[in-house]
Order: sequence, then structure tokens, then C-alpha cells
Amino acid sequence: MSTPAIRIQNLTKDFAVGMRGMKLRAVDDLCLEVGDNEIFGLLGPNGSGKSTTIKIILGLLEASTGTCEIYGRPSKLVDARRSVGFLPEAPYFYRYLTGRELVRYYARICMVPRVEIDAAVDSVIELVGMTEAADRRVGTYSKGMLQRIGLAQSLVHDPQLVILDEPTAGVDPLGSAAIAEIVRELKRRGKTILLSSHLLAQIEGLCDRVAILHRGKLVREGRVDDLVEEKDAESLVVQGLSAEGRAAVEAEIKAQGGQLARVEKPRLSLDAYFLKEVHEREIEHATQQEGGEEL
Amino acid sequence: MKITDSFTRIRLIAGTTFLEAVRQKFFNSLLLISIALVGSSTFFQQFDFGAGELKFITDFGFGALFFFGSILSITATTQLFFNEMENRTALTMLAKPVYKLEFLAGKFLGAHLLLLCYTLVITLVLSGILYWREMALLERLGNELILNGSLIRYGDVFLFGFLQWMKFGILAAFTLFVASFSNTNLYTIVVSFFMLVICQLQYIARDAYAGMEAGWERILVLGLGLIFPNFQLFNIGDQLVFDVEKAPAVSTVLQITGYGTIYVVAFILLAQVNFRRREI
Repeated sequence: MSTPAIRIQNLTKDFAVGMRGMKLRAVDDLCLEVGDNEIFGLLGPNGSGKSTTIKIILGLLEASTGTCEIYGRPSKLVDARRSVGFLPEAPYFYRYLTGRELVRYYARICMVPRVEIDAAVDSVIELVGMTEAADRRVGTYSKGMLQRIGLAQSLVHDPQLVILDEPTAGVDPLGSAAIAEIVRELKRRGKTILLSSHLLAQIEGLCDRVAILHRGKLVREGRVDDLVEEKDAESLVVQGLSAEGRAAVEAEIKAQGGQLARVEKPRLSLDAYFLKEVHEREIEHATQQEGGEEL
Repeated sequence: MKITDSFTRIRLIAGTTFLEAVRQKFFNSLLLISIALVGSSTFFQQFDFGAGELKFITDFGFGALFFFGSILSITATTQLFFNEMENRTALTMLAKPVYKLEFLAGKFLGAHLLLLCYTLVITLVLSGILYWREMALLERLGNELILNGSLIRYGDVFLFGFLQWMKFGILAAFTLFVASFSNTNLYTIVVSFFMLVICQLQYIARDAYAGMEAGWERILVLGLGLIFPNFQLFNIGDQLVFDVEKAPAVSTVLQITGYGTIYVVAFILLAQVNFRRREI
């Protein structure tokens, strides 16, 4: 069995509050394992301990008790971070650098060998779809572009584990879909991805497994399908059924000992509907442009 | 981890810190005000101080260098540190394989580099003005004032600048130490200015120590004298520039530099102790 990307055992983190030694428990006896080449979602409302957990994984905070390992090495060791890439929530970068300079800077900080830097920088910039804007100053980037260049800097040293803290917060649905696609591509390339979010619709279609935190405690953990499916019900999606046909089906269900719980129209999620509409307009617009050029 | 890798990371962090700093309006404004102030000393030529005019310009320039340099050391270091914290660029940086000590050393060196630029510009402007006034004086008063080919030893102007830069380094390192546990810019700036005043007046404690009898008070004063660096050691402007007889020996300058370096290293290491436990 391969070493898990992240292994957290009985992790507790207390913060001292005020002068009287009062303590605030941010993470409470958390046990978690993230397997290699998995997309793992850390979910929870604000203040549930997601960011604290991520900071402990990154060695930015020390745990009060318990252990945290990255590929078998204690996460507090600086060397353990060689295999980790991190994109913070709403990242801010040096505005006067261009996107390419920024990614290059972080590549050098991560000690990517000089002969490999150019190729590594170009490769991640292409992966996040920022080739055209790479030579513009970061100060001119939109929020979605900042997230993408942030992703590029987190990937430039080819880490095995990528941690994304609210990667789609404040990004429009198109940008979110693009980031989700990059995450899927990373998984195809064999990376492990841990992402925290409270935008559940996006997580649902993306993660292999999720963990739900509440007040620092692990509430649920498992595969998304296992957690959300109704175990004692099945749905049949039927098209072109007449009123008589429907009555016959209902009667047959009754005859077979079943019970029709509800009848509903299948729905697209608003997210998917929005993306479909925008995509259609984009194609329309591109066709018109091409037509104009031909004329 | 290789030590050369560590130096590379410190150099990279220092480089971006410096670039970030020179883009700050505060630095540019302070530099312009300092240049204007040093430049304005030439207007005092109408008072016809004779050779005293050069001494006046020198004192005025050294005073401006110390005053604005101290402000810059404290505020620029504070701003550079808290910008990284508030914008969370520190989070991105420290999530990489970077030691917190490397981060602090890079921040310090970036700020110290900024102070080097400031000190160099001011000493160059001051030297230029002194040269101009010296030539005018020699033309007017003849060569009877000249002792060794020149009224002013320009090397000493830069030596004074260097010693002030060392002092600014201690101040920047101390500011970094306060910032490492402080939560606000204002607290860091106020405490650092208090420290500046204490260090400037530290000679009073030293004088008191000399006159004390053995006992716990003497030990206390000695302790305070060791904790707070004596900034008067760096203020040897009076001995420089004009008086050939009192020119400080190279060994003295090296000793002062070593003294400053020890405090810089000590404050950065203390900052590291706090910073290790700080939530970022």
C-alpha cells in the first residue's frame, strides 16, 4: 500500500485568547488521510478549522497535540514542503512583476535548477492558460487571472501534493470551471490535490472524497457519491410518457410492492446552465467573427 | 539543505523586498525632503560664516541624514514586514521550502539595502555641496586655510555615512524584532522610536555606571547598557571631516562595525524566536 499524501492523527490546535490563558480550540482531535493521486475536498463553514488544518499541513502553524505527515515526513520539516505546492485564498503577489517574472521568482525560491527554469515556467503558464497574459504586470490582472497565476507559482517546482485554499472564491463561473479543469488535469498527471471550499456545487463534481469539518471536528468523511446518494431510493428518468402510460407505471410500481415517493423534472444545476448558455454565445460570437473576417 | 541554497533564497527575498521598498511613495518623499534639506543648507552662505560655514553645512547634513534615516529605518522596515503579512505574500513564501530565518534575513537585508541607497544619495549630495562651498571659500579667502591640500576630508563624509548606515541596520533589526510579535504597525513604530531615544541617550547610563559602587544597581545598569546598543559610538562626526589629528583609527571603525553587526544578528535571531510561533 502506498504512503498516503497526507496523514493527520489526533490533531488538535488551541489558540490562546486574551491574557488569562483562555484557549480557543480551532481543530479538535482530527484524524484524516488523503491518498496519493486523489482530489480531496475539505469542506466546512467559516471558522470550522479548514484553514488552520491547511496551515498545520504546510508547517506554518505548530499543532498543540497530534501529528501531521506529508508522504511520511513530519509536515513541520521545511524539507517536507519540497513536495507541496500551495495556493492561498485570494492571493496577492508583487504587483510590479509580470506573471512570468513572478512564476520564475518562485521557481528560483524553490531551487528549480537554472537549466530547467525556463521550461518549467513556460509549462505551468501554459497549463493554467496564461500564455498570452504572462508578460503583463500582475497589477493589471483580474481576480481569475490572479488565481491562475497563483496556481502556476504553486506548480512550478513540480510538487506531488497541491493544496488549494478556496481556489474559486470570488472567481466568476467561467473562471471557476477553468480552474476545475486544471485540477482534473493535475490529477491526470498523477498529482494529489487537497482543496478547501464552501462552494459545494463546484466541489461535488470535482472531488473523489470529501471531509466535512464543523467547529474543528470531523463530521463526515468519504466518497462524494456515498455521502450524498439516497441509499433507499432510485430514480428513473423517462421521456415522452403519456398520462395513461404514467398511470400504468405508477400502478405497476404499486403492484411490485414499491411506492412512488415523488415525481420531478430533471434539472440542470444553475452553474451548468450558466456555462452552457455562455458557451453557446461564445460559439455564436466566434462564428460571427469568422464570417466578418471572410467578408 | 545546502547553505548556498539558503543564501540564494535570502538574496532573492532581499531583492524583492528592496524593489518593493523603492517603489513606496514614502521612501521617495523622504529622500526628496532629505535632499532638499541638505541642499537648503547652502542658503546659509549669506551669513558669511567663513570656514565655520563648512562645519555648519556638515553638521546640518549629518543631522538630516540621522533624523530622516532613523525615520526611514523604522517606518520602512515596519511597512515592509506588515505588507507581507497583511497581503499574505508571506503565506505564499513560507509555504515554500523557505526557513522563517531566511525570510526574516531577506526582509532585513532588503530594508538595509534601501537604507544604503538613502545614505549614499544623501552623502553624495552633502559632499557635492561641501565641495562647491569649499571651492567658493578658497577663492575668496585664499590658501591660508588649507592644512593638507583641502579643508575637508571627503572620505570621512562617506565613513560617517557608513557608520550611520550601520546604526540604521541595528534600528531596522530591532524594528523587525518588535514586528515579529506585534500585531500593529503603530505599536511597532512607537516602540522602535522609544528604543531609538534610549539608545541615543544610553551614554547617560554608562556615565552613571562609571560612578556607581558595586551592587545590584550597578549590575542592572550594566545589563541595560548591554541590552541597548550605544548609538553615541556611531556619532563620531565631530572627529571626522575636519580634524586630521582626531581622525579615528581603522581598528576603531572596525570595532564599531563589529559592535553593530553583533546587535543586528542578535535582534534578527530574537525576531526568529518570536516569528516561529507567530500565526501567519
